[in-house]
Amino acid sequence: MNLLLLGTVFIPLGCAALGIVVARNRSVQHAIAMLGGIGAWLCSIGVLWANLDTGAPMVYVLGGWQPPYGIALVADMLSSVFAVMASTVVAAGILYALGCKDKCVSYPVFMPLFLCMGGGLNGALFTGDVFTLFVFIELMVISSVVLVAISDNRLGLEAAIKYLLISAMGTLFLLIGIAAIYATFGTLNMADIARLLADGERPLLAEAAAVMLMCAFLLKSAVFPFHFWQPDFHTTAPTPVHSVLSSVVVKIGVYGIIRMTTLMFTVEAPTIHSLLIILGIIGIFFGSLGALRTYDAKRLLAYSTFGQIGFILVGIGWGSALALAAALVYAVNHSFIKSAMLMITGVLSSRTTGKTARLEDIGGLGKKMPYVALLYLLGGLALAGVPPLNGFISKVGLIQSGIEVGSWLPLGLVVGAGAITLLYVTRTWSWVFQRAPNPEMKVKDTGDSMIAPTLLIAACVALGIVGAPLLDIAIQTVHQVNDPTIYIQAVLRR
Amino acid sequence: MNTIFALATGIMFAMGVYQLLRRDLIKSAMGFYILFTAINLLLLAVGAFDGVVPAYVDSGGVPAETTSDPLVQALILTAIVISFGTYALLLGMIAVTSRRFQTVDSDRVDNLKR
Repeated sequence: MNLLLLGTVFIPLGCAALGIVVARNRSVQHAIAMLGGIGAWLCSIGVLWANLDTGAPMVYVLGGWQPPYGIALVADMLSSVFAVMASTVVAAGILYALGCKDKCVSYPVFMPLFLCMGGGLNGALFTGDVFTLFVFIELMVISSVVLVAISDNRLGLEAAIKYLLISAMGTLFLLIGIAAIYATFGTLNMADIARLLADGERPLLAEAAAVMLMCAFLLKSAVFPFHFWQPDFHTTAPTPVHSVLSSVVVKIGVYGIIRMTTLMFTVEAPTIHSLLIILGIIGIFFGSLGALRTYDAKRLLAYSTFGQIGFILVGIGWGSALALAAALVYAVNHSFIKSAMLMITGVLSSRTTGKTARLEDIGGLGKKMPYVALLYLLGGLALAGVPPLNGFISKVGLIQSGIEVGSWLPLGLVVGAGAITLLYVTRTWSWVFQRAPNPEMKVKDTGDSMIAPTLLIAACVALGIVGAPLLDIAIQTVHQVNDPTIYIQAVLRR
Repeated sequence: MNTIFALATGIMFAMGVYQLLRRDLIKSAMGFYILFTAINLLLLAVGAFDGVVPAYVDSGGVPAETTSDPLVQALILTAIVISFGTYALLLGMIAVTSRRFQTVDSDRVDNLKR
């Protein structure tokens, strides 16, 4: 069973290596990439299933060196839920890339890098060791930077340099945090750190480490003071990459913050939570207003991600069990919605000659495409939180937990910002699908394939109508996460 | 020994941050590398108790408290490989940018603003 856990990380990486070997034959390479994506997806579902079945975290000890000295891959409910979400979107991204007309998709390095990004994501989610977390995050960052730099959009290169320099700062924070942790505790294993912290050791350097890790995770999630790279970097990425970056790669920071506040730094958690509420609210407003004044469908969704991450952070910040479960449901639902929306926008912009997504260029483009219009409408309404789609469940969960916590001001702001979401989504929809087409704009007959976004929207609708299983899983996750001894005992076996 | 480490790390950090904030893209890439070297020094200082006795598995007579910590050295090796790869990638992208814009002045590499 534990081999499944290994598979989530090493199937994509192995397929990436294989993909470089067979780079000359592009169709074989693409088939291998698709197999790798599906393999990792099945493995992650298996891991989640085993977790639900046994109720105990799954541990794979790499090389047989027992923790705390060796490196272990640990799959508890939290990482499994995030990994299922991540591998679903990565597999959908590969599926989209197979039917994508962009030039960069046919480059020999595209698919291997895409798989490296997926493998790095899963690795960062499953690792039980702070330094290995750094290695996997770097793997993910470097592959995503190359993927953006080779984008068809010539601005990709500039955005990639900008992001690489900024993300290097995040890596730096992470490394300083790791050094501080090692100096204080003499261990890098998360469970061991948590054990030592729970035993009452509280040196000053531990707080410094908490601040450093926090900065690193906020930077990866593009939260308010560190957000400025995000719209440029995401907008210039090729569509399949953008759909992964804007939905699951930014969630790595969210995962790290949940892991930090529930496992390691439980004493500092209330301080971190109050900070998260403020940063989340700022993010919600900057993101929503930024989306409102943007007239580019892709950039609008990048800003919207900035806002939606804010909703998740507010949920984590409220800190109650229900709020954390709502934040988890929100994170999963947002990933599916956002990647589907980005793929649909990509399909639209692939029909234009310049591959632009500016509203004046793609305005009226969708008038003869009722199927695309329907999918976009479903996705947009899900993003805005209209029943019976999955966005509604996540919004209701968040509002309910806000009422339960009784934090009225943030709650009012969250509800108000939800209305802005509805505003910018319907504005884009009416611009693209209702307006008379621009007569100067030449429309191509064929564009990118619609299979991947259709599947993702179907998942959104399904999660909206049958939302109970996801809620159950989220509540079980929160129960497990709120008791750090389960994680510690599973890893250290004591 | 720790004083020297602290001073060296501090000075290199200052140099790195200064270089990173410069307008010249190549110089900021160099600043990036200097910063990573500073972090590697910090990692080394974290593990080296006295920083002078090498880390032997069987330290034959040397008391265990005075030997260096081998783990941080392994961490530094990994960090060097990663930072080197990132640095190479960064320089490669700057090379393409300089060909495209005929400059490495980051104020004039500004198509994103338009």
